[in-house]
Amino acid sequence: MSYLTLASRLLTGTLLTGALLLPRAAWSLDLAALIREVEQQYHGTSSHALTTMQVRTANWERTLEMEAWSLGRDYFLVRILEPAKERGVATLKRDREVWNYLPKVDRTIKVPPSMMGGSWMGSHITNDDLVKASHVEEDYTFRLLEETADHWLIECLPKPEAAVVWGKIVYRLSKQPRVPEQVDYYDEEQQRIRELRFDDVRRVGDRTVPLKLTVTPLDKPGEQTILHYRELSFDIRLDQGYFNLRALQKH
Amino acid sequence: MLTALAFRNLWRNRRRTLLTLSAMVVSAALLILCLGVYAGMIDDMLTTTTRLYHGHVVLAAPDYHAHRTLHAHLPESAADLPTPAGVTDMVGRTPRLRAFGLLSAAAGSQPVEILGVDPVREPTVTTLHRQLVAGRYLQAGEAGAAVIGSTLAKKLGVAVGGEVVVVTQAADGSIGNDLLTVRGIFTTGDSRHDGRLVVTPLPWLQQLLVLDGRIHEVVIAVANPLQAFADADRFNAVLPAGIEARDWGDFLPEMREAIVSFDVSRVIIAGILYFATALGILNTCFMSVMERTREFGLLLASGMRPWGIRRLVLLETLFLGLIGSAVGLLGGLLLTWYMQAVGIDLSGTITPITYAGSTILPRLRAVFDPGNFLFPVVMLVVVALVAGFLPANRAARLDPVAALREE
Repeated sequence: MSYLTLASRLLTGTLLTGALLLPRAAWSLDLAALIREVEQQYHGTSSHALTTMQVRTANWERTLEMEAWSLGRDYFLVRILEPAKERGVATLKRDREVWNYLPKVDRTIKVPPSMMGGSWMGSHITNDDLVKASHVEEDYTFRLLEETADHWLIECLPKPEAAVVWGKIVYRLSKQPRVPEQVDYYDEEQQRIRELRFDDVRRVGDRTVPLKLTVTPLDKPGEQTILHYRELSFDIRLDQGYFNLRALQKH
Repeated sequence: MLTALAFRNLWRNRRRTLLTLSAMVVSAALLILCLGVYAGMIDDMLTTTTRLYHGHVVLAAPDYHAHRTLHAHLPESAADLPTPAGVTDMVGRTPRLRAFGLLSAAAGSQPVEILGVDPVREPTVTTLHRQLVAGRYLQAGEAGAAVIGSTLAKKLGVAVGGEVVVVTQAADGSIGNDLLTVRGIFTTGDSRHDGRLVVTPLPWLQQLLVLDGRIHEVVIAVANPLQAFADADRFNAVLPAGIEARDWGDFLPEMREAIVSFDVSRVIIAGILYFATALGILNTCFMSVMERTREFGLLLASGMRPWGIRRLVLLETLFLGLIGSAVGLLGGLLLTWYMQAVGIDLSGTITPITYAGSTILPRLRAVFDPGNFLFPVVMLVVVALVAGFLPANRAARLDPVAALREE
């Protein structure tokens, strides 16, 4: 499962279901069935969120205010509210496609395959992360590494034929409440290169979710992306028609 | 005395000597021509590669070359630093700013390299403005204009006058995006430029990237690319901290290799050509030595030392070598001169070929390089002497009594 997967889940508010899936899959004998079951749980799950994204790199630091909508695992729309210079810049994720709308030039641009590994909105999240989210169980096999009274440690290894960027992903999930605590991403040399940390666990409606997500690229000291949910609501009324290119341009 | 004798001996079988000489002349002349044309190709490659895009000496932040990171920039004044003493053949220099991003039009989006240039100074360094196949080059004071590669234009489905959107990340982390009007389209033959290079005015790119008054590199062109290595050192001796000069060998290591391999292949070509010639000389000498067995026996019997005989035969081949290389040199000079002045245009049959990052033009043209004349001439004399050694040895070792009995 890619880091982006989780990032986008958090963004879209579907993180909880994703987190639930993994521990169960890890000890289940019939993994495929479980995953199918979970996949269907996503349908109909929608969310709306107001988030603050703070990005710090070696050369600059900035804060973006964003509004995001999601439907299931395949539809996702996010629009920048602040800073003013970039107000209205929007990203639409539809299945495996990512589109960006640029109000300054009034154009919608589809991110080409060659740019999918590129940074999303200047953060430490890539376009690929947004898309691969939907295909985790297709690309990885899961194994329970450790189980204690309060958490699970789950290792995900890519399937031989899977076109993924990570060599290994390790999830640390809390049992009570059932939320992810940390995700470590390893490259093909089994070197840990990215870390995702979850904090600020709150109750939102009838779910419990971490509202703060910190992405730290370990190969770039001092750099970080922090996503914080200021407002989050689930199961709002949205349909697929909302996630079209015209909606992307709406101010 | 021996010298005169050796010279006279050469002409005792005039036809054979002339035949051998003609083989030597032809091989030397052809080798000179061949090396001249080869050097011409290398010269073409060097000029087209270095002057197309990279230039000869590049001043940039020390860590810029490795990663081309947006943040390793210099003040624009770096483009007007004093030229160090000893750098005498500079023909131009120009500031540049570079970014990587996405260029988008109706037909799709492509990852591109966006190069911000000074429309007036850039043409003094690089030749891209001469590679236009449509439209025109950038003009001074123009904003929002671009000259793009032909492959890129085709992929995006844009023509001159068309609009494209450029998206990149600015130095402050914001999303830099703007519209560009395609003013010109170039074809270089190098897919890396034709398929992904976008040339824009420097001030426009500075604004897009939020890098006012900043540049990434100063590109310098010199008259002789092979002089650039020394010139880069001269710059480094006087450049302030935070700026480093690099020569084109760092940007085009394949070209540097090609120059080195040229010297190796020169020896190999000469080796092959001269091996055949050496066999011819060997044959002639052996024949003439065998024919003169009685004569050598007589000389030995009348008191000539074996080394005298050896010297006589070696002198004969030396003369052969000297005459052959002199005439060969003349022939080679004429052929090279013709190929330099006229050349052969192959553009009707082949298109430009991109090899090792550079373009080989569809033409044959020779250049004059003293080494390409000296080397074949000296080698031919050496080859003649080596080929003469065996027959000379044989003649020297003759038993005078047995030799005299020979019919």
